[in-house]
Amino acid sequence: MSARGRIRARLALRNLRRQRRRSILSGSAMVLAMALLVFSRTIAEGGHEDWIDAGVRMGDGHVSIQAPEFRTRRTLEHRLSPEARAAALEAVASPLVSERMVASAPRLMVQGLASSSSAALPVAIVGVDPEGEKAFSALHEKLEEGRWLEPDDRLRAYVGARLASRLKLKEGSRFVLTAQDAAGQITGQMVRVAGTFRSGIPEMDEGFVQIPLATAQEWLGLPGAVTSEALLLRTSRDVAPVRRELRAALADRTDEMTVLEWQESTPELYAAVRMDDWADYIFHLVLFVIAGTAIVNAILMSVMYRTREFGVLRALGLERGEVGRVVFIEGMVLTAISGLVGMALGAAIVWIFFRNGLDFSAMWDMEMEAAGVVIDPVIVPRFHWNQILQSLAFILAIGSLSSIYPAWRATRIDVAEAMKFEE
Amino acid sequence: MSDGTGGNGNGISTGEIRGTGTAAVRTQGLWKVFEHDGFRVEAVRDVSMTVDQGEFVVLAGPSGSGKTTLWNVIGGLTRPSEGSVWIDGIQIAELSERKLARPPLERLGFVFQAYNLLPVLTALENAEFTLLLRDVPSDERRARVEKLFERMGMAGLEERRPGKLSGGQQQRVAVARAVVGEPALVLADEPTANLDTATSTALIDLMAELNRDLGTTFVFATHDTRLMDRARRVVRLVDGAIVEDDRRD
Repeated sequence: MSARGRIRARLALRNLRRQRRRSILSGSAMVLAMALLVFSRTIAEGGHEDWIDAGVRMGDGHVSIQAPEFRTRRTLEHRLSPEARAAALEAVASPLVSERMVASAPRLMVQGLASSSSAALPVAIVGVDPEGEKAFSALHEKLEEGRWLEPDDRLRAYVGARLASRLKLKEGSRFVLTAQDAAGQITGQMVRVAGTFRSGIPEMDEGFVQIPLATAQEWLGLPGAVTSEALLLRTSRDVAPVRRELRAALADRTDEMTVLEWQESTPELYAAVRMDDWADYIFHLVLFVIAGTAIVNAILMSVMYRTREFGVLRALGLERGEVGRVVFIEGMVLTAISGLVGMALGAAIVWIFFRNGLDFSAMWDMEMEAAGVVIDPVIVPRFHWNQILQSLAFILAIGSLSSIYPAWRATRIDVAEAMKFEE
Repeated sequence: MSDGTGGNGNGISTGEIRGTGTAAVRTQGLWKVFEHDGFRVEAVRDVSMTVDQGEFVVLAGPSGSGKTTLWNVIGGLTRPSEGSVWIDGIQIAELSERKLARPPLERLGFVFQAYNLLPVLTALENAEFTLLLRDVPSDERRARVEKLFERMGMAGLEERRPGKLSGGQQQRVAVARAVVGEPALVLADEPTANLDTATSTALIDLMAELNRDLGTTFVFATHDTRLMDRARRVVRLVDGAIVEDDRRD
C-alpha cells in the first residue's frame, strides 16, 4: 500500500475508534440485521431442505429416470424397458452418483380403479420394491392399521386410509385393482389389504395404492419394466451434479429415457419453495434498508460533523477523491466489522439455541400440508457455505451502497467554506 | 503570461512589485467576487502584490476587509474570479483540481486560527503529515519533527493527541506542520486569535525565529497588533483593495 493509502486507512480506522459510541450504535443495526439474516437463512435452508426431502420421498425423488413423456402422459406406453432400466442402473452406479445417493426406488405406476363390494374409485397404483421403498419413502412410517409390505408379499396392498374407508376395507380385506395392461387390455388383480396409511396429503390418502413391484409387473405383462427409477440424494444441492452426470451417461438414449430433477417432477413443490424464497428476499430487503440507512446516517453525520477536518485535509494536500476514499473506507470497515460480528452472533444463536430444531408445533394445532407435502413442525436450521458467501455479498453491497453518498458528499466540501465551519 | 519571477505590477494596486529572485508569492490583478441571490460582493479587488522569499508580512484590515479571502486565494483554497497567483513561480490559479492539491505539499504551509490539527493523529503524526503525503522515509520524518519540537519546547509531547495539548501547544504543532516541509511560504490566518497574551507572544517569537533562522516566508492575515508590531511589512486592506503597503526594512 502506498504512503497515501496508509494515511487514508489510518485516518478512517482511527475516526471509527474516535467516534466509538456512534460507531457501535450504528454498527448494532448491522449486527442485528446480519444476525437475523443468518437466522432466517439457516431456518429457510433447513425448512426448505426438510420440505424438499419430504416431497421427494413421497414423489419421484430428487432425480428420476423415466421415459420422456411419462411425466405428462402417465401411461404404461411410456415406460423403461428392462434394457433401458439396466442402462439407467449402470449410470446410477457411477461413483459420482452413488456417493451422493441415499436410496433408489424402482416404480411401475399405472392409473386404474380400486373396487370393493361397496364402491369403485379411481386410484394411482404403484408397484414398489418393499425393501428399496422403505429406505426411500416415509410412507411406511405413516401406517395407520396393519403393516407395511414385506419382500415376500405377493398379493398384498398398502392403501390410503381414506380410500380404505370409502371402500369399507380393513386389514385383510380383499379388493380388486383394474387397469389397462401393456397390450391395452383392461385387466384386474385381486389383492388383500396389508395395511393402511395416513400421509396427511388428501390426494394420497384418497387415491393411492402400493403393491409389490413383481406383482405389478406380472399382472400388467411387463416383466422387468418400470415407469421410473427414482433416486434419493443426500441433499437437494447434490441434484445438479447428479443430473449432469446421468444426462451425460445416458446421452445416447434420449429417445428412451430422460433425467428429471425434482423441480420438474414436482413443479408445485418447486413453486412453493421459490415463493417462500421470495418472501425471504423481501424480508432481507427490509433488513438491507434498515442496516443501510443506519450506516448512511452514521457516516453522513460523521462527514457533516467533520466538515472542517476534511477542509484541513484538502488544504494539506489530499485530493477530493482521497477525502472521499477516507469516508468510503470508514463506511466499509464499519459495515464489514459489524456485519461479521452479526454473522457470528446469528450463527452462535442458531447453534446454541436451535441446533436441534425450532419447534413450531405449538403454533400449528393441526398437520400443515403445502404443495403436496406435509410440513414437519420442527425445523432444523442448516448452515451452508453458500450462506456465508451470500452474507458476505450482503455486507459488501450494504457497505458500498451506504458509503458512496457520504463519500461523495465529502468530496464536494469547499475548503474555504469548511474552514468557517464550527464543530 | 508572466512567469511570476517578479517584474512590475499593472499599477492598479499600491503594492510595488520588487525582487530579483523567485518571489514566494505574487498576485496580479486578483479579484474575488461572490454573487448570491442577486447581491454582488467584491471581496478582493484588483490586488497585485509580491512577497519575496524570507519576508514576514502581515495582511491587516478590519473585519470584512477581505484579508482572509485574499489569504484563501493565495493558498489555493478558493479560486480567484479573475487574475493570477504564483507561489514560488507556479501559477496556481490555473492548476487543475488534482494538481492544486500538490503545491501545498511542497510550497505551502498553513497555520489556521483554530489550530485545525487532525484529532485522530498524535502531535508527531500531525506535524509530519505533509511529509507522509510526500512519502518521505519514516526516519527522516521523525528526525525533522523531533528537531523542530526540540526547538519549540515540545519535546516529549510527540505521542499526545491534540485533545491532550493546550491551545498554545496545539498551535505550535500546527506551526511545525506548516514549516516541516521547508515550504516557500507559510500562510497563517489569525494564528494568535485563540491564545492568551503570553502564549501569543511566545508563538510570535517562535515564528519570527523560524523566519530569521530558516528563512521561512510568513504571510499572516491578522488584526493582532502584537503581530503587526513584529512584522517587517504590513499590507493594509480596506473593502478588498490594498490601501497601504508599509515596509519596515
